[in-house]
Order: sequence, then structure tokens, then C-alpha cells
Amino acid sequence: MRTKATAIGAALAALAVLCAMFATSASAAPAWKFEGKSLEGTEVVMGGAIESSMTIPGLTTKCEDFLYKLTVENSAGTGKGSLTEVPLYNCTTNSKACTVGTIGAEKLPWPTHLTTVSTTPYIIIEGVKVAIYYEGEECVLGETLVTVTGSAGGSIDNAAETATFNSSTLSASKTELKALSQKIEWNGLFPTEAFQWHREQALSVS
Amino acid sequence: MAQRTGAISFLASFAKAASVRVFLALAVGVIAVSGCGGGSFSSTDTGGEVASRAGAGPAGGSKTPGTSASPATGLTGGSPGETAAKPASRASNSKATQNGSAAKSGPHITPPKGPTEEAPTPEQVAHATVADMTLESPAIIASGGSPARLAATYTCDGQDSWPALHWAGVPTGTAELALFAMNVQPVEERLFVDWAVAGLNPGLGEIKAGELPKGAIVGTNGFGKAGYSICPSGAGEIYMFALYALPQSLLPSKGFDARELRKEILGVSGNVGLLPAVYERG
Repeated sequence: MRTKATAIGAALAALAVLCAMFATSASAAPAWKFEGKSLEGTEVVMGGAIESSMTIPGLTTKCEDFLYKLTVENSAGTGKGSLTEVPLYNCTTNSKACTVGTIGAEKLPWPTHLTTVSTTPYIIIEGVKVAIYYEGEECVLGETLVTVTGSAGGSIDNAAETATFNSSTLSASKTELKALSQKIEWNGLFPTEAFQWHREQALSVS
Repeated sequence: MAQRTGAISFLASFAKAASVRVFLALAVGVIAVSGCGGGSFSSTDTGGEVASRAGAGPAGGSKTPGTSASPATGLTGGSPGETAAKPASRASNSKATQNGSAAKSGPHITPPKGPTEEAPTPEQVAHATVADMTLESPAIIASGGSPARLAATYTCDGQDSWPALHWAGVPTGTAELALFAMNVQPVEERLFVDWAVAGLNPGLGEIKAGELPKGAIVGTNGFGKAGYSICPSGAGEIYMFALYALPQSLLPSKGFDARELRKEILGVSGNVGLLPAVYERG
């Protein structure tokens, strides 16, 4: 009997700790908002990078246009999402010898969630996988298929309605993208824009 | 939930997958965050173009879906509520929404030019040299966000001899391994090879600094030397060490032309482990 009571007590204590943890994490996690109101249901957010490049040491691959389509929702008060499409356009490298034969996002959808890093809202993209096939007989990566994998955290600027990804935001959000067994750089500034129920409404996260 | 549409059916699969325990935990989270909203940015009008909202439901939380169509972005539309609006230019901003509430002030998506890049096809993957092996060196380690650095001792400013290298992930069926060191950026528009060693046993997992195993065949590098030399002409350079796993033996002769062998290697579509390293003088 005493054992049973102890077990129940321990279970309740564990539940209390869990509740406290969830309460803490939930209160810290931002939600998607339109016109300042928390999103109910889902919304499709799209955007295109104003600039975006990825650097494997010595070789930068840049895409003129880097779009995304993200389905977002608030789940238990926390902003979540699913990156369903990432079309890339006009990708080139900084080396005359190397051209981008093909490049594409793989294993979509990529899950996303919102979080807060030092009072700044962040979007975290997980399960990133981009395959790049470089061409060029004189290119060090010629005829080679390189895959970028990992997760990426970008800071959200509510005033500008943009998300910024760079080495600082990846580091601050404890995320990393890797290729060739090494951390790589990814820079991108992505406007956010609702395309479904909240078109033309101010998008923010808090 | 009138606004739950086909476009969000994908999310339903997540909901189905969630266990009761997870649901309960999330419910605790909901209770914890209730009343914690507010404080978000509300934009002001900036006087740009208003993207067409023909067919869209009124702003401010309407649950009525609008006309289904794709924006001219290359992204698929088709979800109710997506309008036939052609997005305005990236630089343009929006005016207030039709119901007078504060509206989007940030930039709009820009319709891209040209076709979408294609992901590598299975055929390309089959013929590519796939960078899926691990190549590492105790002498070339990245620290923080900086790229891995090559110490001067492994260049012409030091002993000009190769560092220890170890690797993993050699596919079964590999007939031979070949090691290369190359400049990442070409010299006079040609690939510059600093070191090439062929004939390595596929069972090997490492080489020691400055030592080569029995059977190794050394090629002639870009300096015209049968051996290793990393010697940038300027203040520094970025190099790529590469270990190729070849499905067939290429049997090069001693002093082979390193560039020519690499062309042959790329033709046999093997696997590669790549290790970039930066060398900066001083």
C-alpha cells in the first residue's frame, strides 16, 4: 500500500514538473499573428529571398530567387509550420569553372516552429535537405553531387515582416547546416506574406 | 472550422499521429499560455500598391474563402483564399486593407524570372560522383563558425608535406582509392592539383602525416612535381582534400598527370569524401 502511495506521489510530482516545463516553454514560444490577433486555423505564407547564398568554403552558390511556401498554424499556443515548397531560380556559383547543373530541395515538407532567442522571435526550419549537382571539368566540385542537410534558425523582424538567416542567427538558435561534414554558411532575407485568408494583413509573431 | 481546407489537409496527418499523452501535454501548454498574447507589431500604411484582392475574403479574420488561383510566383496555389493577384514588386508595399485596418507593410513576393531549377534526377545521381564519404584530418579542424584551417607546416611555408587524413564510408565494391588536394578556385581557368595519389587499397581508413602506404602511386601536380606541394601565390588560398572511391581500378603509372586522372575518375562515377581547408599566410 505504502509502495502504491509512493508511486502515485512520484507520478503526481513528475506531472507537476512536466506541467511546469510545458507552461514555461509554451509561454516562451511565440505564435503567428495577423493584425495582432493570434492565427486560428491555418494560413499559407509565401515569400522570396531578397538575397540568398550558401557558402561551402571557397565556393558560394547563389540563387537569384529562392521562394518558399509555408503552411502555418498555432498549436498549443506555439507557432508551427510546414515548409511545403522551395523552388529555386537562376542559381550560380562564384567560380567561373563551376556551374550549378541542378539544385533542389528534397524530403519536403520540412517542419518549422517558432521560438524566442533572447527576446527575439525566431523561426526554426528542421529537416533541411538541398541537393546540388555541380558541373564543370575544371571545377573542384565538377560532376559532384553535394547535399546540404541540417536545421536553420532565422530571426523574425515584425516591423519589416521578414525573416533573416545568417551565421549569427544559426548560431544564436543553435542550428546548423552541413555539407562535406562541415558547417556551411547560409545567408538569406525572406519577406513573409500571407496568401490565403489573411492576404495584405500585417504578419507578426510574438 | 470553415477555414480548414484541402491546403491544410497535410497538417491533419500530424494531428492523427499525435498520441493522447502528447495531446494532454499540449493541453497543459494551452492553459499555460492562455492570456499571454498581445504585444505584436501593428504596421502602418506606407502608400505602396495594393495587390489585387479580387475574390479574396475581406481582411480582418474573414472565414470565407476566396477564389482559388495561383500567384505568379512558381509556387503552387490552388488553396481557397489564394487569389489571382499578381504580386507587386519586391520594393512596393501595401495600403490599408479594404476594411480600414492596419495592413501589411513589408515587401511583397516577387515573381521570379526564368524556369525553376530542377532537383538532381535519379539518372544524374547515378552518374555523379556523390559526396557522401567522410574525410577528416586531426590537423584540419573547424572552430566555431570559421572554416577549417591548414597549418603552415603542411605548406611550402613549412615542411610542405601532407597532413594525416582518415576517412569513413567507403562503399563496398570499391576497387581503389585516390587522394587529391586541389585549389578550390582554378588558376588561369584551369583546375590546379597540388597533390594526387592513386592505387590506395580500399581497405585503408587513414594515412599518416608525411607517409604513404605500400602500393601508392604519386602523380605529377600543377607545379610539375611528382609529389605534394601547397604553396599559394598570394596571401592565402582555399584548398580541397578529396578522397575518391573508384568502382574500378584506373591503374595509373608513376608520375601520372594529376588533372587527367581526375577527369578519368569523374568519368567512372564513384563516391568522394571532401575536406575544405583554408590556408592564410602570416
